[in-house]
Amino acid sequence: MNVSLFVTCLGDQFFADACADAVRLLRHVGAEVSFPLAQTCCGQPAYNSGHRDEALRMMKHTVDVFEDADYVVLPSGSCAGMMRTLYPELAGSSPEDDPTAAETMRNATRELAARTYELSQFLATVVGVQHLGNGLDGQRVAYHHGCHALRELGVSSEPVALLRGAGARVMEWSADQECCGFGGTFSAKLPEVSAAMADHKLDTLPEVDVVTSADGGCLLQLSGRALRRSSDVPFRHLASLLWQGVTGTAESEGRT
Amino acid sequence: MSAREQILASIRAARERRAQVDHPGRFGAWRPEPAPSPLHGFETMFTQAGGEVVHVSSSAQRDTWLREFLSGFDELSLGVGVPAEVAGLGPTPVPHGSEHTAPAGVAVARAAVAETGSLMMDARDGRRAQLLPPILVVLVDATTVHATLADALGAVRADLPAAIGLHSGPSKSADIGQVMVKGVHGPGRVIAVVAQAGLGAYRHASERPSERE
Amino acid sequence: MSGNSSTFRPASYREASARTLRDTPEVRDSVGSATRTFDALRTKAYAEVDSDRWRDWAQDVKAHALTHLDEYLEQVEQSLVANGAHVHWASSADDVHRLLEAIVVEHEVRTVVKAKSMLSEELEVNAHLDTLGVRSVETDLGEYIIQLLGEPPSHIVGPAIHRSLEDCRALFHEELGTPMDADPDELAAAARAALRGDFLAADLGISGGNFVAADTGTIALIENEGNIRLTTSVPRIHVALVGIEKIVPRFEDLAGFLQLTARAATGQPIGLFVSLIQGPRTADEVDGPEEVHVVFVDNGRTALYEDDTAWEALRCVRCGACLNICPVYRQTGGHAYGWTYSGPIGAIIAPGLLGLDRALPLPHASSLCGACVDVCPVRIPIPELLVHWRERTVEEGRNSVGERLAMRSYAELAERPSAFSTAGEALRWTPWRAVGKALPVLSGWMQEREAPTPSPKSFRDLWREGIE
Repeated sequence: MNVSLFVTCLGDQFFADACADAVRLLRHVGAEVSFPLAQTCCGQPAYNSGHRDEALRMMKHTVDVFEDADYVVLPSGSCAGMMRTLYPELAGSSPEDDPTAAETMRNATRELAARTYELSQFLATVVGVQHLGNGLDGQRVAYHHGCHALRELGVSSEPVALLRGAGARVMEWSADQECCGFGGTFSAKLPEVSAAMADHKLDTLPEVDVVTSADGGCLLQLSGRALRRSSDVPFRHLASLLWQGVTGTAESEGRT
Repeated sequence: MSAREQILASIRAARERRAQVDHPGRFGAWRPEPAPSPLHGFETMFTQAGGEVVHVSSSAQRDTWLREFLSGFDELSLGVGVPAEVAGLGPTPVPHGSEHTAPAGVAVARAAVAETGSLMMDARDGRRAQLLPPILVVLVDATTVHATLADALGAVRADLPAAIGLHSGPSKSADIGQVMVKGVHGPGRVIAVVAQAGLGAYRHASERPSERE
Repeated sequence: MSGNSSTFRPASYREASARTLRDTPEVRDSVGSATRTFDALRTKAYAEVDSDRWRDWAQDVKAHALTHLDEYLEQVEQSLVANGAHVHWASSADDVHRLLEAIVVEHEVRTVVKAKSMLSEELEVNAHLDTLGVRSVETDLGEYIIQLLGEPPSHIVGPAIHRSLEDCRALFHEELGTPMDADPDELAAAARAALRGDFLAADLGISGGNFVAADTGTIALIENEGNIRLTTSVPRIHVALVGIEKIVPRFEDLAGFLQLTARAATGQPIGLFVSLIQGPRTADEVDGPEEVHVVFVDNGRTALYEDDTAWEALRCVRCGACLNICPVYRQTGGHAYGWTYSGPIGAIIAPGLLGLDRALPLPHASSLCGACVDVCPVRIPIPELLVHWRERTVEEGRNSVGERLAMRSYAELAERPSAFSTAGEALRWTPWRAVGKALPVLSGWMQEREAPTPSPKSFRDLWREGIE
């Protein structure tokens, strides 16, 4: 099984260790992992802020980069969501495209979408993993459901099942499916409301040993706000927590 | 161009660009569970919303209940079409136009709906009598209870008065600090007296000739 | 398009939302609690029925009505006129004001009772009636409360959800003389008594319209208090203000919309009072208005209709479900949005009704979480429409030059992998805490959160070194 890893722009710079853990996880379940060096950004920040032309350019680049991949796996629910659900809609919408080019791009994105997965989605539904190990050893975990993974990908039970299957106790959290307030540039343009949204998440958080999510943006938002509130609850990326489920040791400590 | 022409012209031009969508047909109120019998359904829904239901299976039973209930009031508002023998069971009715002065009232329903727990009130029976008294007794003929709202609307469509009210319980509001209160404008207490089939106790406005008492 | 209403100020959203959070944090509590309650009720009500099928049906009926809207508008006019009602058409708020003035003058109207109508707020009817020396009284309890407070509504369905019981006690004590420790029943009874006199004395009743059935010429109105029934039954004249998008083709369609809207709004099987109004009282009726005027209002709806993406927003049934589930709306309530319609629906219709320039930044006041899509009874693709308006913002050059340049540079880098990774390295080593406050985007982040810690090595570097 050949998997091409798309680490995403945030992943490369802020979650490098978690992405390395994703590589280890994928190899552990028998995948051959490649990392196409030409990868950059899926275009979501441009799309969400209304810069459609820029989004299309980044989409075309990404489609090219992963043209030959059997599977494209991302340690990011929002970027996987962008590629699976929005790329086919965006494709061929650029007015300069001639009809043939537009049709070609539409097919290419549909075809790419069918082989693109968020990491936990891939592990659970393609590989069929249930029990990674016991490395999480009863740790109390709060799982934040990123909006795109939840609504665009329909992924919600998979990460929770994998965490439990790695020994974790995933705790009840009344606000677990509510938006954390990241929303890309929203968090910086309307910081007060964004922070109030993060506050609601943090105010309702149960007593846990770690908070995790499949989305780097969400983790930066929640951990950044938690730190500002002088909270020391640890935040770790899902990939790292699941790898710890295999090994039993936390290789990358700390906030991200 | 008049406002009317401007609006219609705008719409006509834009709809050319749009794929036309067909009407999907009758609303089927699709549910996972089968519906209960109309009478049972009406009672369940109406009482869930805070309404009260009294079943009577003979005119004697109806009269006993009404006489007893209405004896607590010294004035009464009456809707048009409340039969004379029922009107006579209670205290002096207030004149039309003074319904707001009566502590209680009696009105008749044109029909009822099980699905929504609603009483269908026809304007020809008098709107003030249906709305102004704080306590309202509504006479319902059991044979007029429709299973669904779609059925009920279908049944009245050919003979519509100026207004129909669907009253599905006592008046309520949660606008004061999210606390539920009753009887804000409409009646705070509604009692449906459901008469079994065959009583022929009263004829609804749509069946009455146009003379008045 | 609405006239020069200087009272509507979506442009102040950031400042207004920040101020609400900072100065009146109790609003977030009240709004949060009310919206969560409504949403829980809606969830339960949807689960009792095959809600997916109901919503598909409703979406299709509305889409059908909208794609044949001119035909249905002509039909409903005929039906209403045949019922004895007067039909008027208004392109703008000014048209509505002139119509009302004509009625006020002709019938020597001194007092008006109003049923809750968001359209009448949008058209600023009360302010205009004031200038005519007409006393207008809001009869919906929530609207009555905010009228006494001199505030606009905070929510489409519950105008006063931003106000607590304590606020109401203080208000009613001052205005109606109720005791400071009065319980809600006593407060309601006081309002009822005060308003009863107004109902009986009013010359004119003004309502909106939730739906209008084209075949029978029926105006349908939903409520729980009974004030709409009274407003449309007791005064001599009834004026119904109805947006042109409220048309449903068939009387029987109301069966679906009345139930679905109630479930979506408050979790009820139906509103406790529904008015189905055909026209003025007939010869064999003992009461009811002598004249019924129905005003079909555009006020920017045709602008929305002409937009090939945004026209889908016209399916809206004004249930408020999207407000109730919106994590952004929940933080502040409606006032921060600066005009009549707030939350997700407000953000997508504002650019049509007010024009994009006056609607900004509302389409940006969203994290695009998509929760609204889960609940909308007529399946409006709200996030798609928000992005649409953001694209128009960029196309019309209404966002900052800095942002446009930054995004273009970013796209250029994203097409050149080695330049992209070099830039990424540089970004990691930017001293965020020092530089952060200077750059607008970074300063926004830093204002409320600690800066993220970059990874000691990029993934690219780790990969190059070999991952064991």
